[in-house]
Amino acid sequence: MARAGSTPHPRLAVVKLASCDGCQLMLLNLEDALLEIAERIDIVEFPEATTHHSSGPYDVVLVEGSVSTPEQLEQIHEIRREAKHLVTIGACATAGGIQAMRNWANHEAFRAAVYAHPEYVESLATAQPVADYVKVDAELRGCPIDAGQLMEFVTALLTGRRPNLPDEAVCAACKRAGRVCVMVAKGIPCLGPVTMTGCGALCPGFDRGCYGCFGPREQANAPSLSRQFVEMGRTPAEAGRFFAGFTGYAEPFRTVLTELGGVPGTTAIASAGPADRDHSATGASPRAGGK
Amino acid sequence: MTADTTSASGFLPRAGFQQLIDLLAEGGRTVIGPTVADGAIVYGEVRSVADLPRGVGSEQAPGRFRLVDHADERYFAYAVGPTSWKRFVFPPTLTLAESHRDEHGHVSFGPARKEIPSLAFLGVRACEIAAMGIEDRVFLGGPYTDEDYRRRRAQALVIAVQCAEPGGTCFCTSMGTGPGIRGGHDISLVELDDGFIVTAGSEAGAAIVGRLALEETTADQVMAGADQLAAARERIGDPVVTAGLHDRLLAKLDSPHWAEIAERCLACTNCTAACPTCFCTSVSQRSDLDGHAATTERQWDFCFTKGFSAVALGGNFRPRVQDRYRQWLTHKFATWIDQFGTSGCVGCGRCITWCPVGIDVREELDRIAPPPEVIAGDGHAAEARAPRTSVFRVESVRRETHDTVTLALSTEATPDWEQSRGEFVMVSVPAVGSIPISISRRLPTGMELTVRGVGPASTILTGLEHGAEVGLSAPLGHGWPVPAAEDHDIVIVGGGMGFPPLRPVVDEILSHRGRFGDVHIYHGARTPGDLLYKEELAAWAAQGDLDVGVTVDRADATWLGRVGVVTQLFDQARWDGSKAIAFVCGPERMIQATVGTLGSHGITQDRIFISMERHMECGVGLCGHCQVGPFFVCKDGPVFSLAQLGDVFGREGI
Amino acid sequence: MPQTESSTPRTEHDAEFVALLNATWFGANLPPETQVRLAALSRRYQAPAGTTLLTEGQLANELGIVLSGRVSLRTLVPEQGWITILTVEPGDIFGQSALVPPYRSTSTVVALQPVDVLAMDGPGLRAALSADHDLAAVLYPRVLQALARRLNATRLQMLDLFAR
Repeated sequence: MARAGSTPHPRLAVVKLASCDGCQLMLLNLEDALLEIAERIDIVEFPEATTHHSSGPYDVVLVEGSVSTPEQLEQIHEIRREAKHLVTIGACATAGGIQAMRNWANHEAFRAAVYAHPEYVESLATAQPVADYVKVDAELRGCPIDAGQLMEFVTALLTGRRPNLPDEAVCAACKRAGRVCVMVAKGIPCLGPVTMTGCGALCPGFDRGCYGCFGPREQANAPSLSRQFVEMGRTPAEAGRFFAGFTGYAEPFRTVLTELGGVPGTTAIASAGPADRDHSATGASPRAGGK
Repeated sequence: MTADTTSASGFLPRAGFQQLIDLLAEGGRTVIGPTVADGAIVYGEVRSVADLPRGVGSEQAPGRFRLVDHADERYFAYAVGPTSWKRFVFPPTLTLAESHRDEHGHVSFGPARKEIPSLAFLGVRACEIAAMGIEDRVFLGGPYTDEDYRRRRAQALVIAVQCAEPGGTCFCTSMGTGPGIRGGHDISLVELDDGFIVTAGSEAGAAIVGRLALEETTADQVMAGADQLAAARERIGDPVVTAGLHDRLLAKLDSPHWAEIAERCLACTNCTAACPTCFCTSVSQRSDLDGHAATTERQWDFCFTKGFSAVALGGNFRPRVQDRYRQWLTHKFATWIDQFGTSGCVGCGRCITWCPVGIDVREELDRIAPPPEVIAGDGHAAEARAPRTSVFRVESVRRETHDTVTLALSTEATPDWEQSRGEFVMVSVPAVGSIPISISRRLPTGMELTVRGVGPASTILTGLEHGAEVGLSAPLGHGWPVPAAEDHDIVIVGGGMGFPPLRPVVDEILSHRGRFGDVHIYHGARTPGDLLYKEELAAWAAQGDLDVGVTVDRADATWLGRVGVVTQLFDQARWDGSKAIAFVCGPERMIQATVGTLGSHGITQDRIFISMERHMECGVGLCGHCQVGPFFVCKDGPVFSLAQLGDVFGREGI
Repeated sequence: MPQTESSTPRTEHDAEFVALLNATWFGANLPPETQVRLAALSRRYQAPAGTTLLTEGQLANELGIVLSGRVSLRTLVPEQGWITILTVEPGDIFGQSALVPPYRSTSTVVALQPVDVLAMDGPGLRAALSADHDLAAVLYPRVLQALARRLNATRLQMLDLFAR
């Protein structure tokens, strides 16, 4: 097992775009383990923990937050150039986050309504996941990310194996844990069947349906689930809004949500979805570069 | 069931039921039984009758479960809930093994130490006993056994309860598993309004029943019990026609209905998790940050997930939900019978009730297979048969290509693999995991493995140096039937990494060259740089009594050998295949093309042997990943004759 | 047009060439009169390894059958150099562009070993095929068979099966 002990420690940076910092806090919350990690990884940039700045290149960059401003757009391209492995963390970076709900709204009207001087607020018309602009090597999902998955990712990085981040539904973990299905036993709409695992099926353990924090799993059959919500007595608009959470902008949640009337407080927009609007203003080309 | 049941039977008044619970709990045994939790009947610890669902029933329909109040005193007047007993004998997560690697690279492997709790299962239904019988066959009936299951199963007492309240999704009658109890229990109970008819079903059960304060059972009580069983049977009816289901289902592999089901199916895994017989698992590694101390964790896995059928470099044999649903349903009701001699379904209805969108297998099936028989009594006593991991040392490393090496490995452990004709070994690296690798040469004290670095584990293997240690299982699976090919002409076709598994065949033929007729060896690779065993190939060609052909898919101008696909090495050849046996290994699409060309030379399907690639996790037929139709590729293959595979070979999404 | 040719080789040249054809996958088991006809249109040549027999884009004047040795069909890819698409082994044909408009070679054909080639005159063969439907009826299926085999192989190559 000749893993050379003399190789330099991997250089890791944590970078933040439009986000609440909750995912970075999960890294700090590793506490004791964080010290052990710091002995093996050079954490050279970490806004929540240090004001120290360091320049690239980096072996791994953990990116938190969505791309929501022209400045962040420049920043993410720069990060990509400096990062050997770019890893997005959290619902904002991987799916656009809660702020992507504005992608269904009229951006200018919102700006005018919220800010006294909208002309001072620089923002893109849409809040987009990082992968819409640059190639992403790995994702840690969730709002916030899961400490266990983060440790798994770091351990795999250090031992040279593939991280075990399954692409199955939340239901799998829910049933392993022996929880009773809230949809079947209580008629509570739950996004578990279409949501990627990782949280340990937290909400169904507290008599709640899954909110979809970890975003769509592979082959997420959101149309069938939304039909079932209607079957259970919800109106189509209500059924659609269960998808309007932290990851509502991620497909196929986006399409179901759009087809069933959009997010609360906005007018339904064309089924083509909001992603392709307005980027001419910034010169950006989502889904074109890097992917 | 040797107990004298006449002396261990009687009527237990309801007021005396706590005594039964207390007797079951003697000696530190934990009683698991029905409790009300989270809006359902859930199996959990029962310390007193107060924990039982008194007067609580269930109303069940596809995708719907509700508790209902019966306003009576009965404890067992519900139809089964979401929990099945399998979680207590086959835990959802389990630490299987521990491995270590010290600073010098020495490795060690051992089973995880664990305590097996002593349990009594209270309230087991006939369908659930049948499910235990099926799991016994899966885990204890094959060449390898699951030691953890064996121990948990052996210590558990089964207290059965006659079903009186079937649910709206039950169909045990069709599956022939219930509602009447016919064995497989230690004690059986028939619940009546004022108490229980208690009957011992084993010596252990008789010992407990003998200490209960029983009254004599009256004829009226016996009649009342029989009547409620008959009523239950009547209520369930016979919703599914079972005769001939196996053949009927397998004849419908191309039905458009699979795609229609996939429109509704969420692939959420709830049906398989709720199923009392689904047994698939995956393993993963947990380790400290340096990978020095690691554990192998096993957890329930489900054929509805993408990762379940994934193979190296992003390949997947069941990419669509319709493929996965078909795998699940045809396995449960058809190919399970080929594998284990019983249906995989007991008709408990859980997969119907607990499907969030209410997909009803009764409606998806026309006929269902014959009932399983309980083999628990024999299964319990089975001795443990598990593949042992032995430490092997790297004796030499030969670089074959830029990403492929051949490792010569030897061991000081008893080479129990010597007798085996197994085709592959599971290679374990602490903290990284186990991967299946075909044996590419048998050596007196070990073997050679040719490894291409495509994933983390295989990349680590290709970086090993002289003296490094890894863990190897005994050779597993069915290998190439070389002895049976004596007196025949031989055609060997190996494409890419499909060539290494065929090298032992060449070795075996060369050691008894006179016993075989003409021998043709064909190897195709992607580029000249990807060709394996170049020197050996040249030596074989120079030998004069072997026809050796080598080709590559593409080459630059410096390559003077053949360019073209592997079939072009022999499609215009003039040899006659009517007395030939062919051994073929490579990517499945290459095998298909090769099979066609071999056929045009007159080699029939029963004389073409191929090695199948599938996702293997355990290597011994216990984890479920590598199924192809009725086969486990690891256990029944990986080498199959084409005739054996029939129409499952080359089928989409299987 | 009525057939006037005999099925008996008229010259020593023809007899030798019929024997050569019979030893190849492409030429074997054709009707004797067809073989005689082809023999009359053929020449035989040898070339040392490294010889360019046809150049991509140039007129393909002859349909070749490899009698012995190996030839490669190559194409030049910018930044990758010469890529060998396929090798043609004894018995098989190259230069079939001589039968297909615009009669220009679609690859560069280079001998990888010393080769012995039986080459049929392109314009002469085309004239014979359009004049003599019986000849066309037996020869074209053989050409199609060679091309179909190549097409199938190319499809498998395109799938790049050994990449994963």
